[in-house]
Amino acid sequence: MNGDFELFHVIWFPFMAAFLCYLTGMRHKMIRDRVLQLSVILEMGLMVLAAGAYFRTGELEFIWEDFCMQGLYLKLDGFRLLYGCIAALMWMMTGIFSREYFAHYRNRNRYYFFYLLTLGATVGVFLSGDLYTTFVFFEIMSLASYVWVIHDEKPAAMKAGEIYLAIAVIGGLVMLMGLFLLYDAAGTLRMSELHDAVEAVMQEKGMQIYAAGLCMLFGFGAKAGMFPLHVWLPKAHPVAPAPASALLSGILTKTGVFGVLVISAEIFRYDPQWGRLILYLGTITMFGGAFLAVFSIDLKRTLACSSMSQIGFILVGAGMMELLGAENALAVRGTILHMVNHSMIKLILFMAAGVVYRNLHALDLNEIRGFGYQKPLLKAIFLTGALSIGGIPGFSGYVSKTLLHESIVEYASELAAHGEPSLWIRGIEWVFLLTGGMTIAYMTKLFAAVFLEKHPDRQQEYDAKTAYMNQESIFALLTPAVLLVLMGFLPYLTMNRIADLAQGFLHGEMPAHAVHYFSLASLKGAVISMTIGVLVYFGMIRRYLMGKDEKGRTCYLNVWPGWLDLEDLVYRPVFAKAAAAFAGYFCGLADRLYLVRNLLKGALEVSAFLSRICDYLMDTVLVLFRSTTHKSRTERHVYLIGSVFSRTLGKILDQIVRVINHTIRRKNPIERSFVVTFAEWEEMINRTNRLIGASLSFGLMLAAIGLALTLVYLLWW
Amino acid sequence: MSSVYLVLPVVLPILGGAVMPLLHLPEKQRNAFLEILILATSVLAALCVLRRPKEGFILFHLTGNLDFALRLDGLGSVFVCLIAFLWPLATLYAFEYMRHEERTTSFFSFYTMTCGVTMGIAMAENLVTMYLFYELLTLVSVYLVMHPMTKKALHASRVYLYYSIGGAAFAFVALVFVIIFGGTTDFVMGGVLDMSRVGDNITIVQIVYLLAFWGFGVKAAVFPFQGWLPQASVAPTPVTALLHAVAVVKSGAFAVMRLTYYCFGTELIRGTWVHFVVMSIAMLSILYGSTMAVKETHFKRRLAFSTVSNLSYILLGVTMMSPQGLLAGMAHLVFHAFMKIGAFFCAGAVLHQSGKTYVDELNGLAKKMPFVFTTFVVFGLSLIGIPVFAGFISKWNIAAAAMELGTDYPFAYGAVAVLLYSALMTAVYVLTVAVRAWFPDQGSVGESKEDITDPNWEMKLPLGIFTAAVLIWGLGSEPLMQILRAVAHGVF
Repeated sequence: MNGDFELFHVIWFPFMAAFLCYLTGMRHKMIRDRVLQLSVILEMGLMVLAAGAYFRTGELEFIWEDFCMQGLYLKLDGFRLLYGCIAALMWMMTGIFSREYFAHYRNRNRYYFFYLLTLGATVGVFLSGDLYTTFVFFEIMSLASYVWVIHDEKPAAMKAGEIYLAIAVIGGLVMLMGLFLLYDAAGTLRMSELHDAVEAVMQEKGMQIYAAGLCMLFGFGAKAGMFPLHVWLPKAHPVAPAPASALLSGILTKTGVFGVLVISAEIFRYDPQWGRLILYLGTITMFGGAFLAVFSIDLKRTLACSSMSQIGFILVGAGMMELLGAENALAVRGTILHMVNHSMIKLILFMAAGVVYRNLHALDLNEIRGFGYQKPLLKAIFLTGALSIGGIPGFSGYVSKTLLHESIVEYASELAAHGEPSLWIRGIEWVFLLTGGMTIAYMTKLFAAVFLEKHPDRQQEYDAKTAYMNQESIFALLTPAVLLVLMGFLPYLTMNRIADLAQGFLHGEMPAHAVHYFSLASLKGAVISMTIGVLVYFGMIRRYLMGKDEKGRTCYLNVWPGWLDLEDLVYRPVFAKAAAAFAGYFCGLADRLYLVRNLLKGALEVSAFLSRICDYLMDTVLVLFRSTTHKSRTERHVYLIGSVFSRTLGKILDQIVRVINHTIRRKNPIERSFVVTFAEWEEMINRTNRLIGASLSFGLMLAAIGLALTLVYLLWW
Repeated sequence: MSSVYLVLPVVLPILGGAVMPLLHLPEKQRNAFLEILILATSVLAALCVLRRPKEGFILFHLTGNLDFALRLDGLGSVFVCLIAFLWPLATLYAFEYMRHEERTTSFFSFYTMTCGVTMGIAMAENLVTMYLFYELLTLVSVYLVMHPMTKKALHASRVYLYYSIGGAAFAFVALVFVIIFGGTTDFVMGGVLDMSRVGDNITIVQIVYLLAFWGFGVKAAVFPFQGWLPQASVAPTPVTALLHAVAVVKSGAFAVMRLTYYCFGTELIRGTWVHFVVMSIAMLSILYGSTMAVKETHFKRRLAFSTVSNLSYILLGVTMMSPQGLLAGMAHLVFHAFMKIGAFFCAGAVLHQSGKTYVDELNGLAKKMPFVFTTFVVFGLSLIGIPVFAGFISKWNIAAAAMELGTDYPFAYGAVAVLLYSALMTAVYVLTVAVRAWFPDQGSVGESKEDITDPNWEMKLPLGIFTAAVLIWGLGSEPLMQILRAVAHGVF
């Protein structure tokens, strides 16, 4: 750990304060509320101390080598100082405001714990000097702020929290992947070294660097609410408690923008390809947000959509900053100033919305209309924010929007001077002016509904609420409003200095010629936007988006079709259903196949078969021999009966009998076999002969015959 | 320190565990006896590591040049320390968890013996010794799975037995080949295979390596041999937590490390077909495990599937075939041990206190058991790989190793994509539990009248220590990483 500890104090203090606050809250709620307010004020004090050190000695650095393996590297330059201060200021104001706002809430302890954790993490993101540190704090911030979104624990909040968490986790992991690719290619994540490191390897590893850039853009863009990852923003911001909405909108989105700016200014410095990508995405975000806001009839949702739109303006500025190359002073200053403006404006507007909600517990324009009819202070504060965000000359938003507009005009004329097609950039300029007009229109819608119109039946009740906010809240709302007015009225004194302070971060040069904010050329864009705004408000909002309810009173209509929602239409079906089912199917299949069991079974079958073969092998060989070489004689043993003579005679007779049977005695065939008959006869004869031959009389007879023959011989020879 | 002392951490728990049932001690004294025994083992093991004897100790000759011998080297020390640290805490937790169970004496007897056997695996000097202890581990730990004696448990233990014994048979093939081609089975960083003996048989050696990778990988639940692990989650939680998240499964991963870096050597494998095969196996297991964990709604089985994927993180690191990969594998071996044993203890505490086993029953339970679920969130975030928690460090290292290898073999870039996918799935299966428990949207237990509280100190203490470990290592892992780096480069 070494370097300027002022920076470290700014970081660790909120984390410690979170635990302190939680422990106090377990004992005593009143003291806890005060501890919280004290903590955010002290944090502001620490930031001021760091600022003092910066102005005395220049840039500050702090390194903690072993932190989370890759080390923690904090840095304080002009831009970081500016945004560190804005973060501390916003937390201070919302912290002061929170005591009244949360007076009747549950789970405050939990909320405050994560509130302070997020403060530490957010300041950490803005002070980070390398992307690794940015990532670490970014993740803490994303996860801790989830608790804000679901604080009410209502179904709408839970659903919004779901998508918030999903985008935060996915965004964070994709960003991590980008960091890997970048680290692998460039070998460093230090922002100050990135540009040179990337330039050195751009030739051979260009693809990898662009992939890394896109991954990181995904992560940071998701947090910034960039199209098409904006889906969480119009849902999560309105459901969070108002002070949290102010922070989500005003500063947490800026951490995403911060990342996009770092990528744009350091990795892809002056890269027109990248610039165009950012410009297109920014333009869509800018227009889409405003378009949604015009249709919305919910106070906080309108403001949330407006945030998306303003982030689009900032991204357009970031895109122009790339496209304009080295002469990008206008775009750089416009981008930075619009970030600052938007943070302050959304702080005011969301806290004002919080005042409304705390009193009425409603945000629907039809219910809250007329609430501010007789509340001049709130009216003035809201009006400051509304005029400023609308870019009305004399207010701060005008200055930054003018700068952004001028940068587009400059690029268009530059393109035209080089003879390149400039129609597309003219188109973007017109989208820019149109969106400015729509901004004015939806802010008019809000202002008219809450502060100019009367509620059809509860106006009395609303006007009776005179103690609608306490001293602390008034302080919290009024301070930023006054700052905003000062910035708007004295742009040369305030906003130019802010821009001078911070532009080094984006490598912006001083502008070639001083910009005259109130010259005729600068006013032209604002006038066009205001004209469009009036047209949209009267031609569209009052005509098509307002109607009569069943009792015949004018009311705001919600004409946006409910099914037209990118989240429900695309993301949920694709990711939650299709992708999960797809992956789950294959793994489930792998599981159900019982791979090992079946393989084993197969192996067993095969081996059993083989063993059986072995088993029978000897037998088989024997059988083989027995049936071939050692074959036993195969002829059938026929027991012949009779002698050749009797058989031949019998067969002949049998044949004759067959012929007779077939011809003469067909009706009454002879069925005995003569072979058998003759054999029997022969056998009988033989036996008789044997009997005779063996008898004494036969011997005597033969002897007598012999004697007789002897006698005949003697007599005649 | 004389090398004779190496025997003690191995023999003491085995003997103690075997003798314990004969003493017929009443429960309290038995528990004290066991805790002291385990603590003594741990202290002795720690002393052995701190004052490490250079020489090995030969218990007896088997035959020829095959010895049954113990020795401590760097990798072994890491594993020994891990076991020595976790076992006493897990035993403490087990006392409370098993209080109302039956047959606890035989349970603790085997539980304690397992400790000694695992120490034996860690301290084995050569492949023969490790192989013998490896088989022994199967035999002593099979009872622990069987312990509930339900039909399911018996079935699970049989499956476990078949898988493990079958795997060891594969490993035996490798043992024989190492003896033939290496002449010795001692563990030497860089491998012992003698290239002049191997000659033209290189393909055979690679096939044998693949077989042995699968064989030892069975205990590390590598695809497709992961089936036994989720089934074994029927065992009592101290077993699933310590054995099926650390001791047994890590023995598998440890054995693969030994096999890869100390027997076959990475030179032989790096860049060949077998390298890609084993890497694909590890990736496949990660994809499979994390996806199944999302699908699974049984709390403990979900964690078991998560273990399947996380063990393959270790193996993925190991299969990078580089010191950086071994470092990453070891880091995840250590960190995952802490976060997964912690997560299992949380699941066990929930089961013990409320009897709830399915994820969808956990609605709002965190409000009743804030301590347990706070620690669960820490373990869960660490599992996902959120920075400032330990899991991030090891995952970063694995990915860094993959990127390093990717410059030579672009196939390794796939590992980074796999890690990303798995991290997303981990986020889903962990955060759904955490969100349900903390922020229920409807019908929450938190507001019902059920009397559920945080468990007593015996369960809380291990959880608290593991949480602290995960956080401390997340914030400042450098001292540990330096040791691991030295081990991975073979200088420690």
